[in-house]
Amino acid sequence: MSRVFVTGMGIISAIGDTVAKNREALINKQCGIAGLTLFHTKYTGLRPCGEIKVETHELKNKLRAHEKGITRSSLLALHAFKEAIADATLSANQLSSRHTALIGASTVGGMCLTDELYNDANKSENGSEYLSSYDCASVDLYLQSRYSMSGVINTINTACSSSSNAIMYGARLLKNGLAKRVIAGGTDSLAKFTINGFNALHILSPEKCTPFDRDRKGLNLGEAAAFLVLEKEEDIAGKKIYAELTGYGNSNDAFHPSSLSDKGDGPFLCMQKALQKAQLPASAISFINAHGTATENNDAVESQAMIRLFGTPPPFASTKANTGHTLGAAGAVEAVFGVLNLYYQEIYPGLHFSNAIEATGLKPETIYRQGSLQHVMSNSFGFGGNCTSLIFSKI
Amino acid sequence: MYIHHHTCISPQQTFEHADVETLHESADNKLKAKEPVYKGIPPGILRRMGKAVRMGIGAALPVIKQQSLIDGIIIGTANGGMEDCIKFLNQIIDYEEGMLTPGNFVQSTPNAIAAQMGLLNKNKGYNITHVHRGLAFENALLDAMMMIKENPGNNYLLGAVDEISAYNYNIDLLDGCFKKEIIVNKNLYDTVSAGTIAGEGAAMFVVNDNAENAVATIKAIQTIHTKDEMEVSRVLQQFIQQTLPDNEKVDMLLTGENGDARLLKYYTEVESLFDEYTTIARFKHMCGEYPTASSVALWLVCNRHQWPAHMIKKQCKNSTVRNIIIYNNYRGLQHAFMHIVKYKC
Amino acid sequence: MEKEQLKQQLKQQIVQFLNLTSVKPEDIKDDEPLFGEGLGLDSIDSIELIVLLSREYGITIQDPKEGRKILVDINTMADYIAEHKTK
Repeated sequence: MSRVFVTGMGIISAIGDTVAKNREALINKQCGIAGLTLFHTKYTGLRPCGEIKVETHELKNKLRAHEKGITRSSLLALHAFKEAIADATLSANQLSSRHTALIGASTVGGMCLTDELYNDANKSENGSEYLSSYDCASVDLYLQSRYSMSGVINTINTACSSSSNAIMYGARLLKNGLAKRVIAGGTDSLAKFTINGFNALHILSPEKCTPFDRDRKGLNLGEAAAFLVLEKEEDIAGKKIYAELTGYGNSNDAFHPSSLSDKGDGPFLCMQKALQKAQLPASAISFINAHGTATENNDAVESQAMIRLFGTPPPFASTKANTGHTLGAAGAVEAVFGVLNLYYQEIYPGLHFSNAIEATGLKPETIYRQGSLQHVMSNSFGFGGNCTSLIFSKI
Repeated sequence: MYIHHHTCISPQQTFEHADVETLHESADNKLKAKEPVYKGIPPGILRRMGKAVRMGIGAALPVIKQQSLIDGIIIGTANGGMEDCIKFLNQIIDYEEGMLTPGNFVQSTPNAIAAQMGLLNKNKGYNITHVHRGLAFENALLDAMMMIKENPGNNYLLGAVDEISAYNYNIDLLDGCFKKEIIVNKNLYDTVSAGTIAGEGAAMFVVNDNAENAVATIKAIQTIHTKDEMEVSRVLQQFIQQTLPDNEKVDMLLTGENGDARLLKYYTEVESLFDEYTTIARFKHMCGEYPTASSVALWLVCNRHQWPAHMIKKQCKNSTVRNIIIYNNYRGLQHAFMHIVKYKC
Repeated sequence: MEKEQLKQQLKQQIVQFLNLTSVKPEDIKDDEPLFGEGLGLDSIDSIELIVLLSREYGITIQDPKEGRKILVDINTMADYIAEHKTK
């Protein structure tokens, strides 16, 4: 089966609207989590978020996306998608080729439009322009039509691991010969739906989140989109190559609808499967971009699972303290960061950490440094026990 | 990829003591699923389940109970628990983002179906949910085909679920998807107006690479996004050329025709590719229109029954139906072809 | 309201709120644990019950851990409601 390489990337998050700006922010310990200023909710001022400080209509103007029914989730996706395909120098013909697949992911989709959805779901007339924009697929259907894409098009929703699974599915399409190139990633925008949902579960932090800290108070939501262009070994002569996608593993924790088991079977198994796929021993991993949401449950379980698999875990950190938890985009956002770790041979510091969790004593990386990195693992665990781990390797 | 177990909860009698000869009627342009009594689901878990989760688990139960049987769970659903989703949304608005109950939120995420199956089956294997609207099931199916190639000997639970909720019915009605006048499903294909009738259901399959005792095999699948009926026809011709052996013919074309006058051109174009040798049959009058309805077509192909007269649009003279092409179309944009070989019962 | 009456009302509300279709209100014993063994409720139910206390009795509990001390059984819930209810 062919080897799979990353040849382009695009991202927009609370710490920047390009890959380069995101890298700068990570190096400079920039935190994009702050009070909400654009998105309106009762929790403005109470629950800080990783908000992208660009109004939806500005995004429409910048992207020249004035079609009816376009939602913020789709606009963020388009923003990241454009950067990724330009980075990989894909032509219009390549994009519309039957051999080019688009695998997206989202958990909110068009449901960011809470009030419109409420009216359209409950009232018998005067439907809005968004009637066919609420589902997660609407994002990828928009990209498909904008670029006349004719290969495999798919949308995945496995909650917070959605876009890791999109990347995994994309890699498998390549290896199975069902596509020559894949654009894989995900998007999610802030929504009353998720803010209230996570708040009702009492896992939203009133302060900036503190991944892997003893006194962590929960997660901050964020919004983002990220896409990676994946291509096969035989098609990339002369192109810029960021990294190789060598491993991926998907496993279910099979424990509880919204929390992970104490032993962390799902997280353990997906990391183990990713190592097996990459044919690497645990000791080969140079760095882990952890899921690290800063909820009590996730960080405790993820720590236990890392100890179970690695004994002494390799250096790790969570970038969720920079971007917030971007849900369906998180896997792709962090895949981009993991690839940057390898490409620039550097480790970005985790933010807001003070004291280790007593039971594990694990401390995330807190200082920027350069180092020799061979293989970087990126973890994503979602509601429903959906756990996925990816491994990227240095060229 | 070979199909072994197959179950279906639909608006027809498909789950227990299947009888597809008798056509159950739609009401108010909706074909609602005939849900069985879910004996095998612990009451503590059943109480939280919305209809989509319930139907999905219910259809998968005969398989889920046999823990050793499956290595992974691959589900396609466009919307998952839509009812719970909007219930939570209504709470947000009605209680002005006050204290809300999280149960609906947790159940509303589309991956709750596959996740709950994993939970009940204690299955820690591959678990995924495809949500690409009218091709959610087809992408799940493609995923399963890849998994089987990558993991010889493994068994996967492959399925599809979608529900009618008052809310998504309302949204789709406003969007012009359903007929404005009330019709009954037996007359679905006689109508000349825009729109169709709503449906729901769940179909589950156990698939692997073992030919022995299989009921059918899925030879190939292809999906495209286009609004051009000539493009659909062109891709289907290529598809058949690639997948069908030279000395064989298509015995049956099973289409997703749904009574929507706007979509008839696609079906007419596709049907025109076949001569008098090929029987043409339809299934949406049985299950209604929903994004993963093609899973019911696949179940109908797997099920051991005579093809009921109400399904047949054009009968040919051949006696055995072996090579079957399913063509489905969702809202004139998402198209899928499946080539299935049905084995003799 | 008499304590016994409050307990009966509470049982009905719990059954309805948590959709405990297989449980009759009168089957719940006053000292039967709500979580784990007994009724077998879980962490999501505990949050749902906190919302019940808020909507039905005007009682606000911010910390779910504090909730766990109140949501032991019908007796502890009724005692707390009798003392703290605002409606």
